[in-house]
Amino acid sequence: MVEVTGPTGGRAGERLVVVGAGMAATRLVEGLVAGGYPGRVTVVGEEEHAPYNRILLSAVLEGSHREDALTLRDPAWFADHGIDLRLGTRVAEVDREAGEVVLVDGHRIGWDRLVLATGAIPTLPPIRGLVGLDGRLHESVHAFRSVADCHRLLDRLAEGLPGRSVVVGGGLLGLQVARALAVRGVATEVVEGSTHLLSGQVGEAAGAVLRRDLERLGTDVYTGVRAVRLTPDGLRLDNGVDLPTDLVVLTAGGRPSTALARRAGLMVRRGVVVGRWLESVTDERVHALGDCAERLGRTTGFVAPAWEQAAVLAAHLCRGGEEAGSRVTGGYDGHRAVARLRASGLEVAVLGEPETTPGDVVEVSNPLRGTYRKLVVRGGVIEAATLVGDLSHVGLVTQLFDRRTVLGPAEPGALLMPPTPAVPVELPDDVEVCACAGVTAGAVRACGRLEEVRSRTRATTGCGGCEGVVRTLLAGGEPAGQAVGSTR
Amino acid sequence: MTTASTATHCPYCSLQCGMRLVGRRSPEVQEWPEFEVNAGALCRKGWSAARLLGDRERLTTPLLRDRTTGEFTPVGWDEALDLVAARLAALRSQHGPDAVGVFGGGGLTNEKAYQLGKFARVVLGTSQIDYNGRWCMSSAASAGTRAFGVDRGLPFPLADVEQADVVVLVGSNLAETMPPAARHLDRLRERGGRVVVVDPRRTATAERADLFVQPVPGTDLPLALGVLHLLVAAGAVDEEYVADRTTGFEAVRASVSAWWPERVERVSGVPAAQLRELADLLASRRPTGERARVVVLTARGAEQHVSGSDTVLAWINVALALGQCGRPYAGYGCLTGQGNGQGGREHGQKADQLPGYRSIEDPAARAHVAGVWGVDPASLPGKGRSAHELLMALGTDDGPRALLVHGSNLVVSAPNASRVVERLAALDLLVVCDFVLSETAALADVVLPVTQWAEESGTMTNLEGRVLLRQRAVTPPAGVRTELEVLAGLAERLDSPVPLATDPEEVFTELRAASAGGKADYAGITWQRIRDEQGVFWPCPDVDHPGTPRMFADRFAHPDGRARFHVVDHAGLAEEPCADFPVHLTTGRVLAQYQSGAQTRRIRDLPDTGPYVELHPLLATRLGTADGEPLEVVTRRGRMVAPGRVSESIRPDTVFVPFHWAGANRLTSDALDPASRMPEFKACAARLAVAGG
Repeated sequence: MVEVTGPTGGRAGERLVVVGAGMAATRLVEGLVAGGYPGRVTVVGEEEHAPYNRILLSAVLEGSHREDALTLRDPAWFADHGIDLRLGTRVAEVDREAGEVVLVDGHRIGWDRLVLATGAIPTLPPIRGLVGLDGRLHESVHAFRSVADCHRLLDRLAEGLPGRSVVVGGGLLGLQVARALAVRGVATEVVEGSTHLLSGQVGEAAGAVLRRDLERLGTDVYTGVRAVRLTPDGLRLDNGVDLPTDLVVLTAGGRPSTALARRAGLMVRRGVVVGRWLESVTDERVHALGDCAERLGRTTGFVAPAWEQAAVLAAHLCRGGEEAGSRVTGGYDGHRAVARLRASGLEVAVLGEPETTPGDVVEVSNPLRGTYRKLVVRGGVIEAATLVGDLSHVGLVTQLFDRRTVLGPAEPGALLMPPTPAVPVELPDDVEVCACAGVTAGAVRACGRLEEVRSRTRATTGCGGCEGVVRTLLAGGEPAGQAVGSTR
Repeated sequence: MTTASTATHCPYCSLQCGMRLVGRRSPEVQEWPEFEVNAGALCRKGWSAARLLGDRERLTTPLLRDRTTGEFTPVGWDEALDLVAARLAALRSQHGPDAVGVFGGGGLTNEKAYQLGKFARVVLGTSQIDYNGRWCMSSAASAGTRAFGVDRGLPFPLADVEQADVVVLVGSNLAETMPPAARHLDRLRERGGRVVVVDPRRTATAERADLFVQPVPGTDLPLALGVLHLLVAAGAVDEEYVADRTTGFEAVRASVSAWWPERVERVSGVPAAQLRELADLLASRRPTGERARVVVLTARGAEQHVSGSDTVLAWINVALALGQCGRPYAGYGCLTGQGNGQGGREHGQKADQLPGYRSIEDPAARAHVAGVWGVDPASLPGKGRSAHELLMALGTDDGPRALLVHGSNLVVSAPNASRVVERLAALDLLVVCDFVLSETAALADVVLPVTQWAEESGTMTNLEGRVLLRQRAVTPPAGVRTELEVLAGLAERLDSPVPLATDPEEVFTELRAASAGGKADYAGITWQRIRDEQGVFWPCPDVDHPGTPRMFADRFAHPDGRARFHVVDHAGLAEEPCADFPVHLTTGRVLAQYQSGAQTRRIRDLPDTGPYVELHPLLATRLGTADGEPLEVVTRRGRMVAPGRVSESIRPDTVFVPFHWAGANRLTSDALDPASRMPEFKACAARLAVAGG
């Protein structure tokens, strides 16, 4: 982060239209409310559901998260804060010249400032038979991005358990959905076109560990093959194998939703190209954030960077006229992502981009225990990491990664080793075992029975925590390392 | 038995363990097993407490310091009080009543705390009074008041935790800070209950936990958000209770949707799986199918942050969502720290308070208290500065020019202590009442030697809201006076409109009247009842009232009887680690010392190890240091050198320094919680180096 002066913030009374009501848009609006944004805000969302936490959908599918607990902000909250929330409608066009958006019903909404938070749209893999003549997905085929998709799938499960399902796509979402279906009791297989699972994030060794885990949990995995055709019996793969199935779920990734921006003449590469304040490089009245935005040549598919962008944009828009020109720290110049798999029985964390980031690699793999851990270190800093199977150090590694802590040469290796169990240690006579009364091991050993220890030394009579150690010492044994109250 | 034996309470922490003092000359501590809070158990501080009576370093005569030579000269009481009164009167007439400040302490008896507040408002007419409890329980107090409408540390007797199913300790190391309290946890576990400890250090308390959660300092708040997220997701919220007894839950429910476990993991360093384990424990059921009884207890680790009061609110939200508050053997509580941390915050030594936990800005409260005091309500000053803001204002253009300090060694205990020393030096007059020459007394212009524990009687309100009586057991040394006598002497010299009583029981009687009808209502509590009933729990509005051991059974203290949920969010620390200061520094206590050590360091039976720097082996290896080697710790405010103590019990990104010795608080941050004005003692960014290397 560097000190910069941003362009002018929002003016009193200006009209702001947010296209999209997903997680990035909601976070932005929360920031605008908290920051006292002086303009009038309209939010247009295509889905009927109140803004919700999309990333928890697989947990809803799994049954571990109640659907009614997905909502981020209910419509009443928007109303209470004077925000015009329009759900179940879509912006068909952006008219930059007139400063208006045109809804599908022809209704127009004027804006002085526009925010595109249109997210991503799922990619449909080239499988024949996916889409019927009416343009709809075949009844056994499901996408999995929206709460409506989740409903449709849950309804399908409620109708009578499908015997078998195939998940197309072995990325984060695919694995989450596959595990959710398996937890629901559906026999599930995963088809992944690349050489290994999670190929967008991890290398082959980690993918292999993951595959073993998944297979151990009863889910078969096909990698290096593509589904090519949906038949009445199931899904045909390009190696000729037919996977009989009642249900196909497509989780083969998504792409930034940029059609509106493109038609409006804004510069779009993979996403809508934006500057430090998330403003379009074509028109600084228009901003884009979240999955649809491209900053410094990169788009992201994660919530954390979208929310970081939302915070930056909200702060920028809330700096009204009177404070314009004041020096503020900020702007968005990229993000270090942490991808976490949320699926029962699979433990995966990917920090940064471990397969493409240059640096020294410290790696520990134990296929026997289903663990794989790797750190990419440069200049003592953890630049990227993969943790599969054992996340006991994930909290610490993430902190060191996020804070760019400079480590010593021994640390990365130590961070990859599991904690060692406590072993009995021999306590010298002068070590204090009862901190409350200040009693040493020797003083305890000099006593015969617990009652004598109590009356002579008062050990065990304060907090009582040393009683186990005292009993062990009296019995002539030695306590395990951690059990000693204090060694000073 | 022919030897005199006095039932009393320990001079230190808020547990106020019952003990007997036997003998009049050099009394011995003996157990008082009938007193149920500690049932005879004491820690070594309690056992050795009587050693300070008759200590060689005891002050027995007023001292005047010559500012040019720095030397103290013993003087008589009249000379000292005349001088103080004359200087105060002169400053007041020249600069107005707020030119005199008063700084109290959470270790003072209720009678002294009450009298100090009255002295400030009636005799000095100053609004500038606050106390060190602001650095102790103020965040929990602020949160409790907002959530429940009243702040009583524990709304139930401590022994109730033995009957709970799950006890969650957030930022408490009670096994070392109030050791006998840990026995309640042991009994809970013997019954099959489970203990959760949340702490960046694997403390002696954490060693007893069934689940130990080790978050990054300053992230107890997102941890609570994550727990509530999982409870909501699992449908574990007690919807009936929430509907019947609370308001504000829907906004909280929506707000925690954004705190899924993996996000909490990234912020707090607590693995998502562990968060799920914690939530499952809280949502568990008893064999009867009834919800598990959950007790959530916070202490300084959670509270001493810029987000301290929000952190407490976040954990209260968890307890409320589970329907636990007001339920038997369940609910939320704060483990108060100082001996009279509870009573000390109820009777008027706080900048915004009048006796009975009344607001100084409430006209009805002012009228009531002024009536008891026999003065015009309009003569009472308004709200003054909070503790740290008061200290920072000393000697400035619109700040106090004189300060009276009672029961506080703020040079050691205040955050960013070097600044505090600078401010004290800028005063025209510093007067310190103490019984030893503490680091703060050593800077005073006038030191007044006062009685200590066991030499005087007075009430204390322990962490449970139980009002206790510490009885005089020995004759004070010749030459010392009680603080009540000091205040009365100054009042007389300052032409107070009303005389101040010097008999503590008489002061207590007045306090009862002043507190009557307030939230902390002591009207029905008498010294005799306290003796007869092992203490009396407030509120106790009349002498026939049994007192209130358990609060909130039917209603909370807000006018509508409901508890309030509050939406809170994670804002982080005032000072996050960076390239120059890459580790978190946190502070805390050791078993054998108490607060600034002014008492405990003078007791030979208590080991005085001096400060040390606890660090993880990984960090030690990175620095190239070994156990026992001197380390320099540097923050943006100061530096100190102390031996390192290498231990796997602390997070590798965090170091710990005990605060009982001068030094630690030269490092700590004085960024304040906006609601409670609590400084962020528990986390700042630091750099370590091998000392002299």
